[in-house]
This record gives sequence, structure tokens and C-alpha cells, in this order.
Amino acid sequence: MPRFGTSIRIASAVAAAAALAVVVAGTANAKAAHQASTISGAGSTFVAPLVSQWISPIGAAYGIELQYSPIGSGGGVAAITARTVDFGASDAPLTPDQFSACKGCEQIPWALGGTAIMYNLPGVKNLLHMDGPTLAKIFMGQITKWNDPAIAKLNKGVTLPNTAITIAHRSDNSGTTYNLTDYLSTVSRSWSSQLGRGVAVNWPVGVGGKGSSGVAGVVSSTPGAIGYADVAYSLQAHLKYFAMKNNSGKFTTPGSRGILAAASSDQKPAADNSVSIVNPPKKFANAYPISTFTYAIVPLQSAKATDLKHFLFWAVTKGQTGPYTAKLRFVPLPKSVLVVAEKAIAKIHS
Amino acid sequence: MSAADVTATPTRRPFTGRRVRFGDVVLQLVAGAAALGATVLVGLIVWKLVDGSHLALSKYGLGFVTRVAWNPVIGHELYGAGSFLFGTVITSFFALLVATPLAIAIALFLTELAPSAIQAPVTALVETLAAVPSVLIGLWGILVLGPVLRTDVEPWLHSGLGWIPLFGPPSSSGASVFTAIVVLAIMILPIVSSISRELFLGVPSELKEGALALGTTRWEMVRGVVFPYARGGVAAALILGLGRAMGEAIAVTQVIGGGVFIHWSIFSTGDTLGSKVAESYQGASTNLQAASLIYLGLILLVLSLGANIAAQVIVRRVARRHGVTRGGRA
Repeated sequence: MPRFGTSIRIASAVAAAAALAVVVAGTANAKAAHQASTISGAGSTFVAPLVSQWISPIGAAYGIELQYSPIGSGGGVAAITARTVDFGASDAPLTPDQFSACKGCEQIPWALGGTAIMYNLPGVKNLLHMDGPTLAKIFMGQITKWNDPAIAKLNKGVTLPNTAITIAHRSDNSGTTYNLTDYLSTVSRSWSSQLGRGVAVNWPVGVGGKGSSGVAGVVSSTPGAIGYADVAYSLQAHLKYFAMKNNSGKFTTPGSRGILAAASSDQKPAADNSVSIVNPPKKFANAYPISTFTYAIVPLQSAKATDLKHFLFWAVTKGQTGPYTAKLRFVPLPKSVLVVAEKAIAKIHS
Repeated sequence: MSAADVTATPTRRPFTGRRVRFGDVVLQLVAGAAALGATVLVGLIVWKLVDGSHLALSKYGLGFVTRVAWNPVIGHELYGAGSFLFGTVITSFFALLVATPLAIAIALFLTELAPSAIQAPVTALVETLAAVPSVLIGLWGILVLGPVLRTDVEPWLHSGLGWIPLFGPPSSSGASVFTAIVVLAIMILPIVSSISRELFLGVPSELKEGALALGTTRWEMVRGVVFPYARGGVAAALILGLGRAMGEAIAVTQVIGGGVFIHWSIFSTGDTLGSKVAESYQGASTNLQAASLIYLGLILLVLSLGANIAAQVIVRRVARRHGVTRGGRA
């Protein structure tokens, strides 16, 4: 008996309760004409703003009532494993243990965004520059002051204060953490050998916050703090974020241009449909190096197969277009990934 | 079973007729089933914890309890409860240390010193504190308490008592073991104070009046009559408060800041058994991690049951000494 599966059921009760709250609160405008068909999902907070944009057009196109609870990637994996929802959403690809616990699930890359490295340094107006190896040293606690020579070298002409650096990281299991540690593992050998990549790592220093809002909260209340979250959160919290140096030597920000350039880097999805686009090669001159795909996790066999397929096809095609993605700084899926996504969606059956 | 004892012993009211006897049977069945159900539930929980943590138990054995490690990255996986056990002991012990004098002072004020007009409203307010959901206390800890402790209290303690390793450099963000201690102290304060108040009220007034008649001051009366009479019960109340502090997860998760290490300074961040389970269980990456988290839960259950049993033993011993059965109250 898979212990993982049974034990996760307790956690998913919480997810179910959260899903129920959304059902009760948010769906007054259900289409009465159609026979009520509902698709429910839970997970990634990263993708939540985009999914909420899809609710009304998917209702108009197919009469599907879409419900989504942003409870975090970890919670989303737990919820779909226990089948308390019709799909889960996670920013980190499933691990082998999670795949086997989920019994016949597949992951579909269905959206694309960037992770911002936010900071709070009162008195410094300039947009600061940062590179991967220095960032790794900061997150490992080897660089502890803002006026460290390594940071100063990247920001010539800026007077940096002697403020101590406080690291803010996620305390829960997070796809955003996966994105950051995936990046740091590719740019720093000591990071990859000592810490590695995962939805949670053994942080040597720093303060944990729950959720992106928790991390943003620590950063905005702590002078000298550095943290990370998807761009939408940094914008919402009015926090500055670093321009990151990519392989071509250019400093880029997590805007649509940088993320799109990273997504077009020629990296084919793996057998499990996961795609890693961190630290793209030099020729993608505008690429923002900490970008990520985020995934829908669906059971291959579903009682709601027809509706689920309608919804997912719509999401990876029409759902990627400007009206939905642009102002949220999401970026349409590149062709090569779209092909993989459509193949995966076609496999769902009842 | 106590339910059976109660119904079986003849009571003051005489029984008349069959209907009353029928009622007794129903009462016995319902009460017995409830008591049995609670016992079975505890058993099921223990079984589930042992079963769920099996993978970690068989891999790490008892070495898990003291090892300071928690690395969930696939390929580097290593788990241990050491730092969380340390965090649980430190936070709950110091929370008790902070809350005890305050709780006893509140109880004394309400029973012996307060004018009768304000006794009832203040009692109600103190007990309202127990009704504030822990997640709200945690939020308040993040928004108000943490920043105040960081900018005012911690630097002050550090400058005065910094030579004691406990009071190291102030925290940078307001999230610290110290913030967790204060939050926990606030949470156990109403429990300990309301039980102590009940106990102080139970001190026979002849004894108190007798002492005062002999010319003692109020303080001498409290020290000589009230405290000795209620001592055992207050100790049991404190242990119940300790159990509450050890088990609290949500509010602690919000303010303690996390980290897998043992620092002697209470101004550094940390984690407890409960907070670690609360923050990491959803979406655990591997079966071993999930099992290790349940193992943490098992350790926490053993600690809490231990505290509870200690409280019961103390209450029994005190009850025997006084020749009265006041055990149910504490």
C-alpha cells in the first residue's frame, strides 16, 4: 500500500475545504441554460491570476464552470493525488514518488512566467544588477553585506550601504523555490553539490515565509532583505527586483520580452513533459535566466474527460493570447511546447 | 469505566418503576460508547502515526530523534528531528516561564484583590483571550509583535544581557524563536490563569479569614494559605499549558522563521516539531520525507501525552493529600 498516497489524503482534506470555499464564494454567475458541468482545480498561486482570467470565456465557449483554488503547488499535487479536484497545478515538475502516488497522472506545460529576485534597500534608487554566482553566494550566506566587493563590482557607480543582508525564502513546498534553486544549481557548482534543486531545500541562512505573500512580507518589512517570488507579487508589493545577468552578459528583467526569449531557448521537453528553461545559452541575448514553465496535472482517466479536454485545449491555445496573458506578464507557450501539450491533452480519456 | 460506576452506584434519588431503569440502560450505553469511542480514536491515531512513519522508523530508527538534519532535496535526502525537538523544548519552556507569574498574578487579582464590580468583566475578558484563533494571534505576531520586539525589546535585552548566550544579536526581520515564545506565552496565559482562578476560589474561606484574623497581611495569607492549598492544581495547570505550547503549530509557523540548526540565541530563527509538520506536509516530494514528517508528529504526540499524564499524576497525588476529589477540575 503506498503510504504516501494514504497519508496525503489528510492534507487534501484541507485542500478540499479551500476548494469548497471558492465554490461557495465565487460562482454566482453560473450559466443556467447548460447542464451544469464543473471543472475544479487547485494548486499553484503563480498561475492563479491567469486561470481566473479564463473563467468567464471558458464558460461562454463551452458552458464549463471553472473553479480554481490557489493553495500552492504542494497542495495542488496533494489534491489531485487524492482526486478531490479534476486537475492540479504545480510550478515544479512532479518527482518520481509523486508520480507513482498520483497513479496514472500526466503533467501538461500550460503557462510560462518568471521569478523575480526582490530586494529592500532604502536609500538606493538605482535598479541594481546581479549575477548568478553572486546570488548563489548570497543565498548560501557567504556574502552578508550589501557593500560586498562582489555586489559592488556588478553595480559600478552606485554607493552601496554597509547594511546586513537578510535572506527571505519560502517555508512551504513551492514551485517558485524549485525555479530559483534550479537556476542556482546551473550557475553555481557549490550550490548544486551542497544544496541542489527542489521545492524546498536545506537553507543555510534566512527567514522563512509562508507563500509568496509571506516572503514579500518579510522583504518589505526588513531593510536589507532579499527574497524571491513571481513577478506579479513583486509588482503588487511595490518591491524592486534585480536585473539579472544572462549568458550573453546582458542584464535583463522578468518582463514579457525576457521570459519569451528564455522560452524560445531550444530545450525540448523531457519524457515526462517537464521543461527547464533556466539559464539559457548565450545566443538568446534577451533571455531572463530565472523563467519557468508551470504545469497542469491531470489524471489520464477522468469521468469529466470531454470537458477537461475542451478546457485544456482552450487554455493552451486561446488562453495564451494577449488579452489574457499580457498584462499579467505571462508569455504565450512556444510552438515546440504547445505540440507536446496538445499531444498530452489528447491522451485523456473517460 | 467511570460512566458505569456512576450509573451503578445507588444515588440519593430513589428509583421508581421500569422507565427510569430503561433510561439508565440507555445512558450507560451512550456514555459507554462515547468513552470507548474516544479511547479507540486515540489508538487509531497512534497506529496511523506509527504506520505512516514506518519508512522513516525502519530507515533511521531512534537516531532520527536527535539528529540535526533536514534535507529534502532528492539525492541529498537526510532527515532528523534534533533541531525541531530543541525548538519545541526551548519555545514551550520559556513560554511557560513568561506566562506563569503573569497567569498567577491575574488569578490572584481576580480572586483576592479586585473589587467585586470589576471581577466579572475582567474574568470574561481574560477568558476571551483563549477564544482568539491561533492563526489571528500569529498574524498579530507578524504585523505588530515581531517588529516591536525586533526594534525595541531585542536590542534592549541584548545590550543589557548580551553576555548570556540566550540574548544574542537582535533578529533582522522580527521572525525569531523569541517572537514565538511571546506568542505562545500569550496563548497559554488564559488557560493557566482561569484554572488557577478556579483553584484559588476553591480555597475554603474559613482558612483565609482565619489567617487574616490572626493578623497576617494579605500577602502572608496568600503565601501561607492560598498557595499551599492550590499548589498541586496550579502545577497541573502549568503542565497542561506546556502541552498546549508544545503542540501549537500554526501561530508558531507564522512567526518563528524556520531553519535547521541549533542556535543558543533565542533571537535567531528556528522551527518546532509542530511548525515543521504544518509548513512542509503538503506536497512533500518523496515518500521518505512524508514518513519523516509523520515521525515528527509521533515524537510530538509522545511529548504531549507525557505532559498530560504528568498533569494527571500530580492532580491525583494532590487530591489524595487533601482527601478530596478535585481532580476533575484541573
